[in-house]
Amino acid sequence: MNRTILDIHILQTVPPSNLNRDDTGTPKSATYGGVRRSRVSSQAWKRATREAFGELLDSSELGIRTKKVVEVLAERVMELDSSLPLAAAQALAAETITTATGSKVAVPGRKSKQDAEDPAPAESTYLMFLSNRQYAGLAAMTVEGGKGGDLQALKDYFKVKENKARAKQLVLTEHSVDIALFGRMVADSTDLNVDAAAQVAHALSVHAVEVESDYYTAVDDKNTDAETGAGMIGTVDFNSATLYRYAALDVNRLQENLGAGHDDARPVEPTRRAVAAFLEGFITSLPTGKINTFGNQTLPAAVIVKVRSRRPVSYVAAFEEPVAPSKGGGFLKGSCKRLAAFVPDLEASFGLSGGPEGWVLRVGKETEDLSGLGKAVNLPELLAEVGDAVAARLAPEPSENGGPDGGSSGAAPESGA
Amino acid sequence: MSVLLLRLAGPLQSWGSAARFTRRTTENAPTKSGVVGLLAAAQGRRRDADLSDLAALEFGVRIDQPGSRLRDFHTAHHSDTLKSMPLSERFYLADAVFVAGVSGEAGLVQRLYEALLEPVFLPYLGRRSCPPSRPVTIAEPSEGELEQALREARWEASGWYRDKRTASFRRRGQEAPDDVRLDLLLDSPADPDRLPDITLRDLPMSFDPRHRRYGLRGVRTTETRVPIEPGARPSSPPPPPHEPTSLLTPVTPRTD
Repeated sequence: MNRTILDIHILQTVPPSNLNRDDTGTPKSATYGGVRRSRVSSQAWKRATREAFGELLDSSELGIRTKKVVEVLAERVMELDSSLPLAAAQALAAETITTATGSKVAVPGRKSKQDAEDPAPAESTYLMFLSNRQYAGLAAMTVEGGKGGDLQALKDYFKVKENKARAKQLVLTEHSVDIALFGRMVADSTDLNVDAAAQVAHALSVHAVEVESDYYTAVDDKNTDAETGAGMIGTVDFNSATLYRYAALDVNRLQENLGAGHDDARPVEPTRRAVAAFLEGFITSLPTGKINTFGNQTLPAAVIVKVRSRRPVSYVAAFEEPVAPSKGGGFLKGSCKRLAAFVPDLEASFGLSGGPEGWVLRVGKETEDLSGLGKAVNLPELLAEVGDAVAARLAPEPSENGGPDGGSSGAAPESGA
Repeated sequence: MSVLLLRLAGPLQSWGSAARFTRRTTENAPTKSGVVGLLAAAQGRRRDADLSDLAALEFGVRIDQPGSRLRDFHTAHHSDTLKSMPLSERFYLADAVFVAGVSGEAGLVQRLYEALLEPVFLPYLGRRSCPPSRPVTIAEPSEGELEQALREARWEASGWYRDKRTASFRRRGQEAPDDVRLDLLLDSPADPDRLPDITLRDLPMSFDPRHRRYGLRGVRTTETRVPIEPGARPSSPPPPPHEPTSLLTPVTPRTD
């Protein structure tokens, strides 16, 4: 179980566009290095990433689904209320699962012949994936409603409309992965204890940017000769930019939030899939602001992904001094040159050059300078290789005889109540 | 007493103390609750963990590069009901650099330093979307007094900021001084005769999201002069003061 953090660095150019605007309709900006830059807020790009998830990752195919949800939930219930006997906990858990998912649970036929002393737990009729967070929420509700193992009390508890709605809300699995990644933008009481695993910085342009304005007139198609002229006039603000985007993903935290799968042979499978989905979503998504006006559908020109075992590192300081356009114009070449010089220097200065694994996905001649920063890959290779690297690092090592683990950890984590 | 200095630099930072509801403001300098939160997160403490040992640390901050205030307009939708949430404004400090310091018992401070090298929860400057642009740690903790350490620490401002400062002196025809005046914000001593200069509600008591609690903290403001390392920037003699008429050829007035 190694400490694993992924750093994602992206250079992406966008033509005239207005990806993310403030309340006056102007593209967002920030001062950095003493000059004004174009900015796309982290919340805008996170939303785009989450929207992309919907297409990339159905939680039902996280690879880890089980019919034994009742068994798992009963364990969680007993952790909360250790006075409950197993049978009672399982009965309560079965009731909760039925209410929340609307799926019948039943003891499979061949197992129901076991003696009454050792009842087999009920199973759901189809395979489900529930994240750690969802089990925790359902267990809390079960204990609250079925105090002391009183099944009838729990049934009455779920007759209350609010409670039933809350239980159903908890198992809407389409959010389980993105809450594990991003936490909750809008917190519900059940999610207060989920801390996001991903950290997304505001994207900033690598060069100074001025906002430009497009004056438009719109013709009224029903105009007569008696009344010529525009139906309406106005302006749309826009800018173009070469953006540096950065995100850090705490893979250990993600695994904790998602929970291990139910397939003992592949306990890191949910994490691995979520990592790949996050990478692909973050790399390929684009906020949709004014997209139909500007059609600024670009993909990144360069992506650098690094695996780190100590702390994440942003390369934004490489662009604190704004990049000057190349001789014929264009900021991409200059940005890549900057990064190629800055990254080895930074990693050497801070003792990070202990060979963190790195991958570089790049397009075009302008980005050639980056080839020294990692292994050249295309997107499918990148997703597969990062996934493999993450799985290999997280895989539980065969137990040794109390040997010290590889990474000397600093402060011992305080136990969370 | 052992002192740990931190460099808080990044394109955006946000240090709220009285930031509530839809208007999330930021102070001009890192708050004690923000920095304690960063340290507690690095140690992997949960949000409901006990903070008393960290809150008891002496805290101070030096403003190396004040930065500018940025207002971010923020919309949000509930992820389940898709209802739009109240519009909010979040303020950030853009382009700022601070040196913050904590001092306390040597063992604890050393553990905090080690935690920052391998943080359990990823560090950020007041908000999760504000990662540091340079490592937060400057050096190993050292023995001494916090105020003294903050007065003596190297000036961490960016190159462009130093150049701009030098240029502004030169425009006035002066040689830039070889030290720089910086503001210091320190914990106010518990002295009944001396009132604090500022009082902030940023003494963390609990980060439990169900009920965050902060106490009042007295702050005393002072300033320090920090030498600019020679050789950091090549310097040439300042240009002479601007005298536009010096270029004109004098002519004798015509008499005819």
